[in-house]
Amino acid sequence: MKILDKKHLITVIKNWAERYRVISPVRTSHNETIFDIFDENTFTLDYTKPSMPPKSLYLPQSETIFTVENGEYTPVTSRIKSLLFGIRACDMTAILQSKSFMNGEVADLFYNSHSDNTITVVMACAGPQNDTCFCTTTKSGPYAKKGYDLQFYDVGESFLVAIGSETGTELSNIEGFSDIDDADALNKIQSFQKEAEQSIERIPEFTPAMDRLSNGGIRDEFWERFGNKCIVCGGCTFVCPTCTCFNVADRPTAPGKGDRLRTWDACLYGGFTKEASGHNPRSSQGIRLKRRHEHKLLYYTDRDTHGGLCTCVGCGRCSDYCPVHIGTIEVVKAIAGE
Amino acid sequence: MGDHSANAYIPRPVSIMRTLPQINEHRLFQLKLEDGGTWDTFGHQPGQFIEVSLFGKGEAPISISSPPTRPDSLEICVRRTGKLTDSLFELEKGSRLHIRGPYGTGFPVEKLKGNKLLLVAGGLGLAPLRSLLLYVLDRRDEFDELILMYGTNNPDNVLFKYELLSFFDREDITYLYSVDRDEEGIWKQYVGVVTGLFEKATLSPKDTYAVLCGPPIMYRFVLEKLLNLGFAKDHIYMSLERMMKCGVGKCGHCAIGDRYCCTDGPVFNYAEIEHIKEAI
Repeated sequence: MKILDKKHLITVIKNWAERYRVISPVRTSHNETIFDIFDENTFTLDYTKPSMPPKSLYLPQSETIFTVENGEYTPVTSRIKSLLFGIRACDMTAILQSKSFMNGEVADLFYNSHSDNTITVVMACAGPQNDTCFCTTTKSGPYAKKGYDLQFYDVGESFLVAIGSETGTELSNIEGFSDIDDADALNKIQSFQKEAEQSIERIPEFTPAMDRLSNGGIRDEFWERFGNKCIVCGGCTFVCPTCTCFNVADRPTAPGKGDRLRTWDACLYGGFTKEASGHNPRSSQGIRLKRRHEHKLLYYTDRDTHGGLCTCVGCGRCSDYCPVHIGTIEVVKAIAGE
Repeated sequence: MGDHSANAYIPRPVSIMRTLPQINEHRLFQLKLEDGGTWDTFGHQPGQFIEVSLFGKGEAPISISSPPTRPDSLEICVRRTGKLTDSLFELEKGSRLHIRGPYGTGFPVEKLKGNKLLLVAGGLGLAPLRSLLLYVLDRRDEFDELILMYGTNNPDNVLFKYELLSFFDREDITYLYSVDRDEEGIWKQYVGVVTGLFEKATLSPKDTYAVLCGPPIMYRFVLEKLLNLGFAKDHIYMSLERMMKCGVGKCGHCAIGDRYCCTDGPVFNYAEIEHIKEAI
């Protein structure tokens, strides 16, 4: 374990920034905190849950996967080395889950070109970041159990830093970090973890709702009630750290020349499953909402969850952003009350 | 081939050997490898599909209509429905296009060997099922009795007409064809829905595998028929259609419950999907 005095943090990040593209919390001119390229002048530690998960660094919203010229398809992969500073444990769990999914029977070269070149530094949460956090229910926070290169615990004047990989060892082997392995430091981390876990409210309806869903106890009429409200914006899937569905499209730039792209897509869109014949196996918005929630709550393997309860990591962003209250929290509570 | 580890999404160039018009807006394309070799190296099985690319128009999943026992060409039967297929229909002999695959599980030919087979196709469903039909005919000794039921909506929409007519000369296949409607009164076979053909066949459900491919409505009625006749659920195979965009189980479009049609299917055993409500 290492300790880092907060006053050395900027120097440390600047050191990293010489080797990596550092993505960190920064304050915008509108006084919002977002994750973007590190800038000494706008960097801030005063942030809560980032509005967007770091998903786009692994699966960009739109990405050229091939350049095409005269029938030659040349794959485009990323070689940019990034360091993600300050991500939350829920998002770390999501990164692990998505990486597993994208490397099922077949490896996804494009995803891996980002993922293999991205270093993760987690900032453990001392408590809920807002009133929709429920990572203790989904067992995906408030601190990361694995996957990180480094994990920072804010203990006042300094950070206690857990090392999760060889890269982490290397990153923390620079000026500013000192070794610390005494019982006092360990105790500090343990009580940090315990207090954080206790301060995040659990959703008692969550596992009963999963069981209910799994037993087939929820009728389609239930979903149609939500379907009638859904405005089909797809926002819940775009802010979801574990939603990775994509579309593939061509963008010609000149005759016989252009790019093949993949872009985010959403299972809530009516055309998502529509076939050339005109047949649509998911023909109503209710059925599409059912699909999204069953995927999060029921369909996964233990290999894909990385210690989490399911493939919802409890970040609460769908509940934060859904304009008509069809976030996972609301849906789970409704299922349990059905 | 068959190994997609290098890059699962990279398409390979092939060229058109022949185009054979089928019924209205349907065409059979015979493809050849650019190196002039046979398709043995492609490693496809009956029931699998490929992703067909025409750059600028996109990519679409299309089932393989020819069996691996005929490796001189790879055949796809295409219905013209949109931008990609419009462009495909403009291509002539020698034109180049790109494909990737083969994808999916295909029909379980090893399991079917030595058994009686009942193939039931509806409309364009014959396109994928033809790969199995021809496979069985090419290796006729390895299979027991073969019955083909094929239904279309009217006599003008019979796919592979001449091939099907040639079966009248064979004694090793029982063929039963139906059309839903025959307004001109030209149809010499059964008029009515495909399930009506069951009255005309002598089936032994205990040692027969049923293999179905057709529109969703056909599955509901044929399944009911088969189950009533005493077919075991795991003796019924069906090829399902979904919007399979990536072909490798990642894009999410073809999910059926906890399965992906492109990697776990498109051929499913009825016993494995009957509990999934959205499957059929």
